[in-house]
Amino acid sequence: MIEILESGPFNTVQDLGRPGYRDIGVSASGAMDPLAVRIGNILVGNDENAAVVEVQTFPFRLRFERRIAFAITGADGNPHLDGSERLAWCAYVAEPGQVLELKQPPRLARSYVALGGGLDIPVVMGSRSTSLRGGFGGNAGRPLAKGDRIAIGEDAEIAMLPATGLAVVEPATALSDVFPAPVDGVLPIRALPAGEHELFTKDGEAFWSQTWRISSRSDRTGYRLSGEPIKPVASIEMRSHGVVPGVIQVPPGGEPIVQMSDANTAGGYPKIAGVIESDLWRLGQARIGARLSFVRSTHAEARAVEQAVARYVDDVRRTSRMVKRALKAMA
Amino acid sequence: MSAIDFSDPATIALLTQALTAAGVDGLEISRPGAQLRIVISGEGEARISATEAAPRAPRATQTVVTAPMAGRFCVEHPAASAVPQNLPRSQSVADILGFIRVGDVLLPLRADPSGVMTRLLAAPGALVGYGDPLFEIRFPS
Repeated sequence: MIEILESGPFNTVQDLGRPGYRDIGVSASGAMDPLAVRIGNILVGNDENAAVVEVQTFPFRLRFERRIAFAITGADGNPHLDGSERLAWCAYVAEPGQVLELKQPPRLARSYVALGGGLDIPVVMGSRSTSLRGGFGGNAGRPLAKGDRIAIGEDAEIAMLPATGLAVVEPATALSDVFPAPVDGVLPIRALPAGEHELFTKDGEAFWSQTWRISSRSDRTGYRLSGEPIKPVASIEMRSHGVVPGVIQVPPGGEPIVQMSDANTAGGYPKIAGVIESDLWRLGQARIGARLSFVRSTHAEARAVEQAVARYVDDVRRTSRMVKRALKAMA
Repeated sequence: MSAIDFSDPATIALLTQALTAAGVDGLEISRPGAQLRIVISGEGEARISATEAAPRAPRATQTVVTAPMAGRFCVEHPAASAVPQNLPRSQSVADILGFIRVGDVLLPLRADPSGVMTRLLAAPGALVGYGDPLFEIRFPS
């Protein structure tokens, strides 16, 4: 068990999502930074899709009620265990009664708490993710709150974890050749032109060339962007059609909306572009007020980035197991 | 194993009994800060002198942190901006001295016990093998 001692609003249980039910209007949900979830779970010896805590409002504190492995991934702040600083992106063993605290990270938006054995929560429609709009899944369909106690699955690999911890080079560093760093504080996000891009002609170029800011009216459903409005050459009426995370729609006001993890399942606004899937975690870690620009990408580039990410995850999975086994053998 | 307290009368009595029983003439034990001397006389009586030297500055001893497995030796976390390594510098048990990097996996290295890092014994970025010396740590004895 873990007990939540302190939590801001909208901190939820998430996994890699609930695909396959859009046709009946169920959003996929899932973590805003799925790469952080996968790496955190690998470090503590879980299946990559095990349920974790997504923390997006800080500070967040929990108490461990039994000996357990944990890893904090995602954001750029370091966790504290009983007041002592620990590394992020590193798996440790906590003792019963110890308190984990996550403070506001310096730049990024979301931290993930992966626990050895995963959060033991009923699977609803193939996932343990919380659907806040639907009010189901995760922690009884609602955010975590002070006093909540959550069961943890059996931690089969805790004995394999070295006493000094086991860390990884985080994706932003390990994959810096495929994820360009922000330039003058502007995060480059790659996207592909989408169905109604041609409707925007000149303003379409303005979409790619200007710097957008993530507005305060943004959440896990969508990021609303502030900037110079872009308008289609003709107003058209579109029938509502399916949308997925990453789709960038332009409502009549001309300020784009990027669909995120809790994306609507359908919408009627014209789509100017779609963020490539491999860049969505970077957007998920961008905070309200952050600046970004869209970089026109290609299918080939999107595929190359996807393959680089897959190689990184495979390397972390294989190497972390190998290191654990080698250390155990030499102990 | 805990150290035996040679200033404890019960311990001295036990040692004296053991020496007498064994027919040993005497015993002298010197340790930093204290000396114990037990001489068994011919009649089975013992003369015991124990001196406690004035406290002196703890003598520094040193240990060497070695590589727990083969890999690339990193003094800094790969995501950290490089800062000059000024030595000597104090290191507590909680501090991370560096890492062994295997692919994208990092094995943190710590000082145990706490002490002062005096020397790097491997070049940053070097490929090291199991047991290779990495850091020299001096700590109070």
